[in-house]
Amino acid sequence: MEEIASVFGLNWKLLLIQAVNFGVLLLVLRYFLYTPVLKMLDERREKVEKGVKDAEAAGVRIQEIEDERDGVLKEASNEASNILSNSKERSVEQASQITTDANAQAETILESANLRSQELKEQALRESKEEIGKAAILAAEVILRDKK
Amino acid sequence: MEDGITAIEHGADAAAAVAEAAGAHADSGIHIALAAEQLGVFFGIPITNTLITSWAVILILFVIAFFVGRSIKMIPGRVQTLFETMISFILDYMTEVLEDAKLARKLFPLITTLFLFIFASNILEFTPGIGSFGLIEHTALGEVFTPILRSVNTDLNVTLALAIIAFVTIEVVGVATLGFVKYTKKFINFSSPLAFLVGIIELFSEVARLISFSFRLFGNIFAGEVLILVIVSFVPYFIPVPMMLFEVFVGLIQAAIFALLTLFFVKMAITPVPEH
Repeated sequence: MEEIASVFGLNWKLLLIQAVNFGVLLLVLRYFLYTPVLKMLDERREKVEKGVKDAEAAGVRIQEIEDERDGVLKEASNEASNILSNSKERSVEQASQITTDANAQAETILESANLRSQELKEQALRESKEEIGKAAILAAEVILRDKK
Repeated sequence: MEDGITAIEHGADAAAAVAEAAGAHADSGIHIALAAEQLGVFFGIPITNTLITSWAVILILFVIAFFVGRSIKMIPGRVQTLFETMISFILDYMTEVLEDAKLARKLFPLITTLFLFIFASNILEFTPGIGSFGLIEHTALGEVFTPILRSVNTDLNVTLALAIIAFVTIEVVGVATLGFVKYTKKFINFSSPLAFLVGIIELFSEVARLISFSFRLFGNIFAGEVLILVIVSFVPYFIPVPMMLFEVFVGLIQAAIFALLTLFFVKMAITPVPEH
C-alpha cells in the first residue's frame, strides 16, 4: 500500500490541501456565481409568472369591458328605437287630435253660423210681419178714410 | 480485491521503472512520472506542480465567477445567458434525477463545482506553456526538468480528494435522508442470508467507488497526457491536433461523468431499500 502511495505521490497533506482548495472554490463559486444567478433566475421566473397572470387578468378584464360595452350599446339602441316608436305614435296621435279638434271647431262654427242665419231669418220674418201689419193698418186707415 | 491491488502494485512498479528509466535519460527520452513533481516545501507542505496549477484553476474560475456574478442583470447579456442556461440546465436535470427540488438545490453547488473544476482543469491541460516552463536541476543523473505547471487531474491527490468529497457527500445525504438505521440496513442486513450477502457486496462496491472515482479521472487524463506526449515526440506537427481535440472531449466527458456519477450515487443513496 505504501509503495502505491509513494508511486502516485499520495500525501495526506496534499490530499487535505486539495480538498480544502476544492471547498474554498465551492464556497467562492456559490457566493459569486450560483447564488446571484439562481436568484436572478428565480426573480425572472416570478416576473414572467406575474406577467402571464397579469396578461390573463387583463384579458378577462377586456372581455368584461367588451361585454359591458355590448350591453350598453344594445340598451342604447333599444332605447333609441323605443323613443323613435314612441314619438311616431305620439305624432300620429297628435295629428289625429288636431284633425278632430279642427273638425269639431269647424262644426261648431258651422252650427253657430246656421243658428245665426236662422235667427236672422226669423227676425227678418218677424220684422216683415210687423211691417206687413203696419202696412195693413195703414191701408185700412186709408180705406176707412176714403169711405167717410 | 487482493488481485486488483497486486495488479495495481505491479502496474505501479512498472510505471516507476519507466519513470526511473526516463529519469535516467532525462535529456533524451520522454519524461513520464505518475506522481506530481515536487517543486519545494513550504512549512512542511510539499508544493507540487499540480498544486500550483490547481490554484491557477481556482483563481481563473474565481475571476470568471466574480465578473459574471457581479454584472447579473434582469435582461441578460450573452455571457450571462450562457451561465444562466448552464446553471438552469444543471439544476433542472438534478431536480429531475433526484425528484426533490430542495435537495437538488442543496447539492447543486457541489455537483456544479465538481464539473466546473474538473472541466476547467482538463481544458487548461492544453494551454500552451503548461508543461513547458520548468526548473532544470543538475543532478548526478544529469539535467532533470521539472515543469512548474502540470494538468491538475494527473495527480492522484486531486482526484482522490474529489472522490473522498463525493463519497462523504453521498453517505451524508443518504444518512440525512433515510436516517441512520434505515441507511445502514442497506449494507448490514440480517433479515436473510441472501440479504446479508447482498449488503456486504453493496458495502464493498460503496467503498470501491473511492477507487473507481479517483482512478477513472486520473487514468483518463493521465493517459491522454501521455498519449499526446508520445505522439508529439514522434510527429510534432499537425498529427497531435486531432488527438488534442479528442482529449478536450475526454476532459469534458470525464468532468461530466464525475459530476453525474456523484448525482446518481446520491440518488441511489436516498432511495430506500425495497421491502421484499
